[in-house]
Amino acid sequence: MKGIVGLLLVLAVLIIIPALDLAFAAGAEPGEYVDRRVIIWNLFFRMMTVAFTVGAVVAGTMIWLVWRFRESHPKAKPTAYEGTDW
Amino acid sequence: MVLELQKPRPIWQIMFSTHHTDIGLLYLISSLAFLFLGGSLALAIRIELFLPNIEGTGQIIADSMTFNRIFTVHGTTLIFLFIIPFASAVGNYFVPIMVRYKDMAYPKLNAIAFWMIPPAAVLVWLGFADFTWYAQPPYSIISAPGPAADMWIFGLKILGVSSVLGAINFVITILKCKHPDMSIGQVPLLAWSFLVTSVIIIVAIPTFAAALLMLLTDRLGVSGFFNPAMGGDPIAYSHLFWFTFHPEVYVLVLPAIGMMYEIIPRFSRKPIYSYNSGVFAFVMLALVAFSSWGHHMFATGMSFTEKTVFMVGTLAAVPASAMHVFNFIATMWNGRIKFATPMMWAVGGIALFFAAGAGGVVNTAMPLDFSTHDSYWVVGHFHLFVMGTIAFASIGMVYYMFPYVTGRMYNETAGKIHFFLSFVGTILVFFTQHVLGLYGMPRRVFDYPPIPEWIAMNQIASVGAMIIGVSMAIFLVNMIYSSGKGQLANTEDPFGLGGKYYYPFEAKNPHH
Repeated sequence: MKGIVGLLLVLAVLIIIPALDLAFAAGAEPGEYVDRRVIIWNLFFRMMTVAFTVGAVVAGTMIWLVWRFRESHPKAKPTAYEGTDW
Repeated sequence: MVLELQKPRPIWQIMFSTHHTDIGLLYLISSLAFLFLGGSLALAIRIELFLPNIEGTGQIIADSMTFNRIFTVHGTTLIFLFIIPFASAVGNYFVPIMVRYKDMAYPKLNAIAFWMIPPAAVLVWLGFADFTWYAQPPYSIISAPGPAADMWIFGLKILGVSSVLGAINFVITILKCKHPDMSIGQVPLLAWSFLVTSVIIIVAIPTFAAALLMLLTDRLGVSGFFNPAMGGDPIAYSHLFWFTFHPEVYVLVLPAIGMMYEIIPRFSRKPIYSYNSGVFAFVMLALVAFSSWGHHMFATGMSFTEKTVFMVGTLAAVPASAMHVFNFIATMWNGRIKFATPMMWAVGGIALFFAAGAGGVVNTAMPLDFSTHDSYWVVGHFHLFVMGTIAFASIGMVYYMFPYVTGRMYNETAGKIHFFLSFVGTILVFFTQHVLGLYGMPRRVFDYPPIPEWIAMNQIASVGAMIIGVSMAIFLVNMIYSSGKGQLANTEDPFGLGGKYYYPFEAKNPHH
């Protein structure tokens, strides 16, 4: 149970804090002399870095999975459920 | 089986049947017909955009009004006449069998829900309205030519009622007609996806039904809800529309995920990794569906607080979606996966689901939304979902159901060619459209300036669309030919997976 709470806390930190960071990057106050194009594109490239990294991990895992667990793989073996009424 | 072309039943026997497999067959055939019709319009759009109009060259469609009509009917057809009815086809075939009931709870209501679709389709197609599937006022009130616009409104009204009737039937069938020995925690995930989707429909659709009525009375000049000239607010329509249609995105995608939950364990020869997390993620997505409609209107002057709430609400879909993807990957892990055509479509759909979701996270980050709003980025993102995920899962399901529906097998090689061409074509079209959006190309345009990068990327997208077109022609021939001449299927185990199945035996007798 502690592990699950810990995992949820980590996920909360990973998801909510970047979300709030993005929200405040938008700003709504007049008189700010910042180049929003730079801020926005900086944010875009940061998000793309995250997306491509996570995407590479997910896509890489799927490609390996598809290659390794195909039924024609030399090491493929029947699952425990084959022939049963699962 | 319900469709046996060697010994055909009289067509009226299927048309006037109230049996769930017959209704499912009607939904299946009509939705696939609309897939090809709507897809043909998409090809017309992409051919028009292959080249910009330079001194009379590069223009194929006569004028911008015709172009607008084409993409309006394209969107309306593929969303309302292909994706949703296709989901109903799958639900009709599988849900009663999965909950071990003889039919849907209300068979006649089920038939009525289907038979509302053809007149609605006739209204949409004969009208050929031009105000996009979104019918944005004030244009749709003041300028959109009638009776096309009015026919579209009535058509959508009928389709909405049809969806609600179907949804009520699914909810009652699953909750009240499931076998007494079966707890709700034992209902298969495909049926769960229909339960959750149906609840979303019942909650969301009435808002759009009201908006359509208001739009119609505005057009008739008796009210001014959305007409600025009469003190109305067009943005109010946007809120009503997206309160229905952001949840509707989940109405489209959840049955597709449910279909993947049916295909992936079968072909991995393993049960689903975590049933409970699948149910949890479905329910979470249903809740999130109603907390994120505002992200479509970040650019309309919402307050900072509203935007923040809707942004966080939208991002809440990420963990729930990730749970589904993780569940699929963990199910395949240590399996003995048979890559028959349905499994290839399902795995391809998961890969593109992730890519589509990543694009959505950019849209929902409100500073970035201002850069991508109304650009081709949004077109690419949305289409990567509807084509890359929903249509991929749906087409995989067509192949999966084919032996059960026809008693015959499709051509496996043609099915795999269909998948590879569609996968490559989808990436070419919709990934390119994301980049095109970053280069600033606005959406819904008939023509564009001859900027070399825009021309090149439009051409890549159009070539991709043509590749998808070729693959769909192969699909059509394969389906028609194999229905009549394909090898007889072993309906107890058509894919040679071993193990026992719960549905084909019980689906044999359509009469009751």
